[in-house]
Order: sequence, then C-alpha cells, then structure tokens
Amino acid sequence: MRKALAFALAAALLAGCSTDAGGPADPARPPEPAVLRVLAGSELADMAPLLDEAAKATGVTVEFTFTGTLEGVETLATGGADGRYDAVWFSSNRYPAGVPEAARRLGNQVKVMASPVVLGLAESTARRLGWADRRVGWGEIAEQAGRRAFTYGMTDPSASNSGFSALVGVASALAGAGRAVDAGQIAAVTPELTAFFGAQALSAGSSGWLSDAYQRRATGQDPGPKIDGLVNYESVLLSLNAAGGLPEPLTLIHPVDGVVTADYPLTLLAGSGDAARAAHQRLTDHLRTPEVQRRIADTTHRRPVVPGVDLGTPFAPADLVELPFPATREAVDALLSAYFNKLRRPSRTLYVVDVSGSMAGDRIASLRSALVGLTGADDSLTGRFRQFRNREEVTVLPFSSTPGAPEVFTVPEEHPEAVLAGIRRFAEGLEADGGTAIYDSLDHAYRQLGPAVAADPDRFHSIVLMTDGENANGKDFAAFRASFGSVPAPVRQVPVFTVLFGEGSSAELTEVAAMTGGKVFDARRGPLAEVFQEIRGYQ
Amino acid sequence: MSGVKRRVSIGSAVVLVLAVAAVVVWGRGGDTPAGEGLTKVRGVIGSEKQAFFTDPRVVAAFARHGLDVEVDTAGSRQIATTVDLDRYEFAFPSSSPAAQRIQRDRGITTAHTPFQSPMAVATFEPIAALLADAGVVRAGAGGYQVLDIARYLELTAAGTRWDQLPGNTAYPARKNVLITTTDPRESNSAAMYLAITSFVANGDAVVSGPEQEARVLPAVTKLFLDQGYTQNSTEGPFEDYLAAGMGKTPLALVYESQYVGRRLRGDGSIRPDMRMLYTAPTVYSKHTLVPLSGNGDRVGQLLTTDPELGGLAASFGFRTNDPRVFADVLARAGESAPAELVDAVEPPSFETLERMLDEVGKRY
Repeated sequence: MRKALAFALAAALLAGCSTDAGGPADPARPPEPAVLRVLAGSELADMAPLLDEAAKATGVTVEFTFTGTLEGVETLATGGADGRYDAVWFSSNRYPAGVPEAARRLGNQVKVMASPVVLGLAESTARRLGWADRRVGWGEIAEQAGRRAFTYGMTDPSASNSGFSALVGVASALAGAGRAVDAGQIAAVTPELTAFFGAQALSAGSSGWLSDAYQRRATGQDPGPKIDGLVNYESVLLSLNAAGGLPEPLTLIHPVDGVVTADYPLTLLAGSGDAARAAHQRLTDHLRTPEVQRRIADTTHRRPVVPGVDLGTPFAPADLVELPFPATREAVDALLSAYFNKLRRPSRTLYVVDVSGSMAGDRIASLRSALVGLTGADDSLTGRFRQFRNREEVTVLPFSSTPGAPEVFTVPEEHPEAVLAGIRRFAEGLEADGGTAIYDSLDHAYRQLGPAVAADPDRFHSIVLMTDGENANGKDFAAFRASFGSVPAPVRQVPVFTVLFGEGSSAELTEVAAMTGGKVFDARRGPLAEVFQEIRGYQ
Repeated sequence: MSGVKRRVSIGSAVVLVLAVAAVVVWGRGGDTPAGEGLTKVRGVIGSEKQAFFTDPRVVAAFARHGLDVEVDTAGSRQIATTVDLDRYEFAFPSSSPAAQRIQRDRGITTAHTPFQSPMAVATFEPIAALLADAGVVRAGAGGYQVLDIARYLELTAAGTRWDQLPGNTAYPARKNVLITTTDPRESNSAAMYLAITSFVANGDAVVSGPEQEARVLPAVTKLFLDQGYTQNSTEGPFEDYLAAGMGKTPLALVYESQYVGRRLRGDGSIRPDMRMLYTAPTVYSKHTLVPLSGNGDRVGQLLTTDPELGGLAASFGFRTNDPRVFADVLARAGESAPAELVDAVEPPSFETLERMLDEVGKRY
C-alpha cells in the first residue's frame, strides 16, 4: 500500500505542482519490478490490457496460469499451489472457503470488480415473454423454461463458476427459505428445478466457449439449433452485445428475487513472502484507484467495487438482491450431485475410440484408464462430478480397420454401480490391433445415433472422437466432408468433440469439430484422462 | 486504495507539504533499511486500522518521532493464534480478548489501548423504517436510533424473511432478515457480534461456563450459518454495503469507526439514505496493542499519548482515551455521535469466546 500510495501521491503532487521532474515514471520512485505468479480463472484473460498498464504503473507483472474453479480449489487443497504461485484470482473465494485445506491457504484478499450471473435472452424472445420492460423472478423464469418457452445455454457448474452461481441462484430463490440453501431444500424444489433445467440446450466447460457457440448458432455458422439465450456473467453478455456480432442483442434479465455475484478477489497465498506481499499490495492498490475501476468497467463490463466509484449506466439495475451462497462443502456437493443426477436433461454420449495397432502399449492403457476414470474411480473434488451420471446413456464404439460393435450402457436413475462396473470391464477389455478407419466409424456412429435421437430426442447429445493416427481405411476426410450435408439434420446437429492423441491429424480433427459445432481437445502433451474429464463439461 | 481516495479531499497547502514530506520519507523506506535515523518498526494489525497507519499524516507523525512504522494486516483471531509474531515488533488486534491471548501466550504484561470503537450496524433509511415498524429499531438513550438485539433474535429464530415483514414494500426480498457479518472463524467483528448476541440469548448476562455456552449456541450459530458464505475481513461487507447497496447488504455489522471515518472523510461514499444504528446492547471493540519489542512499545506509547496521533485516530472515527479529542473532531466536521453508549456490555473471556467460535465453526 504505502509504496503505491507514495508513488501515486508523488505523481499527483508533482503533476499538480508542475515541477520539471514530473511524468508518471517519477524518477524519485521508479516502480520496482516484481512478478506475481497467479493461478486464475480463464475468464480473467480479458484483463490483459489493464494488467499491462498496471505493470507500467506499478512494476508488478502478472504471470497467469489458467485453470477451472474446482480444479483451482483442488490445487490449493492438495498443496499444489504452495511455492508455485503467489496468489489466486478466481471469480470468487466461496468455493475454497468451503474446503478447509484450501481455505487455510488463502491470505489477504482484495476484491477488484464484480459481475452478477444473470439470464440474457435474445431481444425478440424477451419481448415475446413480456420480460423486456418488467422485472421477473426465478419462479416465473423456471415456469416458462418448463414450458420450453425459451432455451438457453449454461456452463457446467462443476467446471465453471457462472454455471454454479446460476444453480445456487435458482435453487435458493425457488426454495424461498431465505437462508443459504441445503440438501433438504433442494429436494423440496426438485420439480421446479427440473423445469428450469429442462430448457437448457447447451452445456460447456468454459464460459468463453459457451458465448462463442451461442453466437455461432445464432448466425447459422454451427449446424446446431439456435438458442434463445445464455445464463452467464452480466459482463460476458454485455461484452457480446458490445462486440456487435449477434444478429440481435441480448436483453439482460436480472431476476428480482436475487442473483449470485462474482467479486474477483485477488488473493495472496498465506505462505507468500514479503516481496509477493508487497507486489500484491501495489497491484491491488492500483487496480482499485477510481480511474482503473472505470477502465475495468469500460473494458471488461464488470462492475466497479470501490465505494464512491459510480456504476454508470450500462449496469442497470444497480441495486441487486444477493442470494446467500452455501458455505458448507456438503451443501455444494448436494447441489452439484442433484444437478447432474436428477435435475438436468440426461445425456446420450457416444465415444468413438481408436483401438488400432498403433495404440498398443501405453496408449491403449491411457485410453482404458481415461474411460475407467469416468466410472467413479476418480474420487477427487473434480473427478466426482465428471463421472458418467445417473440416467446417462453411454455408447462406446471402438474402431480399427472397420468400426467395431457399439456397446450401449444406460446408467439407471438410482444405484448406478453395476452399470458403471460394466463400462469399466468393457474399457479394460479394449485391445489394440489393426488399421484406422476414422470416417467410416464416425458414419457408423451417426447411423447408430439416428434411431436413438428420433426415439428419445430430449437429451444432450454428443460424440467424442479419439484417434492417434491418420485415416488409413475406408472413406477419407474429403469424402466425409462431402457427404456431411446428407446426414439427417437431428444427427448432423450433434457436436463432435475431437481428441488429438499420438499422431492424430490436427487439421482434420479441428475441421470435424468446427463443422459440427464441437471443439478440439489436445491430449498429445497432457494425460488423456484429464481431457476426457474436461470434455464432460460439454456433454 | 482508501488513502489514494482520500488525497482528493486533502485541501490545505499545509497538508500538501506534509504529504510531500511523507513521500520523501517513504522513498527511503521500503525494502532497504530506513535512512536518516528513522527506525523501522513492523507490526501486524487488524485490517480496519490499515487506512490509519498508511495515511501520510500518520506516517509523518511517526517520522517526527524517528519511527517508520510498517504494517501487515490479518484477522484478529489469526493474529492471536496462527500469525508468526516473531516477524513483528507489535501486534495490534481489534479486541481485548485477542490481545489477552497474545499476552498470555508470550508472557507479556504490558499493553496499550489507545482507541476503541463500539459495534454498530450500517443500513439504509427504508430498512431502518421497516425495522422500526417491526419494533426492531427504536430510539435509544440520547436520541440515537438503536437496533434491539432481543427483538432481532426473535425474527431470526423464526427465520423471518424480509418479504414477510408486514407492510413491506420497500425491500420485499425473499431472504432472511440477517445482519451481514464476517466469517466467525476468522474475523474479530464476527466475534464481537457473537459477544453481543450471546449476551442477549443468555438472558442479558455475559456468557460464562460450558453450561451457558451450550444453551446459547443454537440461537447464535444460526445467525452465522444462515448467511451462508461470509467474507473474512470487516472491510468486505462494509464495502459491499457502500458500493453495491441495499440489495446485497441491507444490514452490515461494522465498527462505528468505519462508518464515522467515512463520514469524516467526506468523500461522498456515505450517501444521504445511509444510516448507522448502534446495537442495543453493543460492545466496545478495544483496539489493544501488544508490544513485542521496545520499539513496538514506543508505537503503543505514542498512539496513547501523542496528541497529534490521537487527533488523527479520531479523524478515522476511533474513540480516543480522551473523549474530548473524538468529540472535537466530530464537532469540527459538523458530525455527532453519542459521547458514551450506556447500553454497552463486556465481551466474554477469550477462552469462552474461543470455545463458542470453535463450536460455531464446527457446524460449517
């Protein structure tokens, strides 16, 4: 504090006194160079220009490592952040506060900016629902969602804070108990919550991909059906509007009964040394000056948090009811587990996996354990919420020179253990042999999916395509691309999440993902199991 | 942050000169040994005193006594329990129970209590009116409005929501009537709140002994758990109150000094519809400096005896040992506060308070 203050004072006074020694880089107090290593949520990437300015003013350079919210908590709790990072910066400290091993590693926390999680609806949809000029509550929103009067996209609440904040918001508001929500209350409002999540048409592991996907569907770039809105940070929705790429702007719906707001505390780790402490102080002092608060609002559309700094017109309504956020890990677990196993629409997930001869050895072992990891073998904070869910239909289609026989598993609503064990046995029995018929197998997956989608369309559908090599058998990529248009629409709209592994062709797999509105994941450097977990956020 | 903000309101040339002097002094401080005969003294303090210690006028006042005081902030409970005090020359938690614990653990007999501040609730006019109708807010001694904790505990015991208060159109939120506090596991102001509410729940008597502790715990635990997530520093809820407003924080537990300090600063952050209510009863949070070295003791002595530092502390809203200093500062700014809060009670002993806080903490 004192150095930054001294610097600011010196600069201000010198400028005010119009002495010749002025200028922001006051020679009497040159900013001391320091690096602050920060483990952060990926949405903070948009702070880069402001942090560059901060580095010039304070000498403190931020070195970001991005991760998901729950992953970040896990890193803290297991000591993975000790000595590797000086600070953490997530949308909120509510998650780590509920995990004692993570909470005790948090030091001085300084809020930098705020953004509530709200619903954004295409203007015409908001008008059709009569919500354009009137404040509505979560109850009415859930009711209309139950009627499928609109659809929306939302991030996976176990992967991203915006999704979890929405889950807490809607659950607390519908429970109406007025206090932090717990397992009992969630059970009591299951029908209303199921109605609300029935209208969720898109899930994503990251907030950024979600808004891109929304835009690509709105403009017809992706084959998937258009979606009427997004549940996301107010800042993300305002940024989408400001960028001007949407066919029609989003109307922001701030539920009158309350929201959950991210407040972005830049938090020093408790074990940090003096240098990091000083750097953290200098940087946060700078970020909280009225001028920088305004710049943050203008650049990132997040709300200022420093008293006396005007909110400005884009942030209306200014005064939002804040819903209590559960403080116990039990309540958080109960919410997440209800969401995945009960409330949301179930998934139909098809894994098209390469078991060609080149997969022999470590690779097939990685594939086996990546699939086994999704059957409940991984009981880490994140792993528990990435496993196959109750009510999910999982198909594994192994392929080599030709597509193999697809094996379909339906996880029941209760007692999933036996079916999960079946998936585990099947995965453990995968053997590597033969050639690589990628596109014949993808075609086969489409044929497999067709009747299932027609019979039971109300599921989240997705295909995961994992291969470690170039296509060597059957139809090639060009032929696949040429015939893609003739795939029946309901199946063509299913996103394909492609996984680069070994010598998999990056260009082709990237294009398959782009054509289908999916996403390409790279498992060539990191563990395949982590990538399979990450993809769960999109399924 | 706050210091930078305050500079805007610094008007007189005299103060400007002092500020320049402070800058020069600081320029030599920092990571290198303080020059020009200034002795660096490092302390750990509760966060609500940070703005005071980093204010250029305070830095200059210490410099005139040859001291360069550098502070780190931590929660008062943390200062008393987990902070490595060997790195510091004084510890300055926000309450006497925490200070007593440090004194006992380290065998220190001296302590300075240069200033104190009663606990209060920051709120808004529509909320105060609503709670007055509900009989929770009433006129206290000396014409100041107070928040009646006994009536408040009746509402919280029943889990009353704002929208269930009769005739409430001003704030029909579907959330419980609850004062926003900090995390009882970490922060002093939450401990002070526990001191107040446990006194009332115990039939207007300071809680003492396991039997009484067990009796009051259900009622007071609910006050924290029902809030869900809470922040770990008192500046957090107060800033939310100031910046995000009534929707987020209709009632924030604060030190009187935080609210009065903001008013005295005159930076516009206290808007016309904002109100401060004393709780009835309240407790005084006695900011107690425990010296860990001779230089640390000097800091404590200066804070207690130096008139300039006393005046500056009062300008941050702290009540000084000499009540006239606080009263004068308020009067000069056209402000007022009750000279003495008659309805003030003593906090329980550190051990009782700790045991209750631990029990509350276990329920999370």
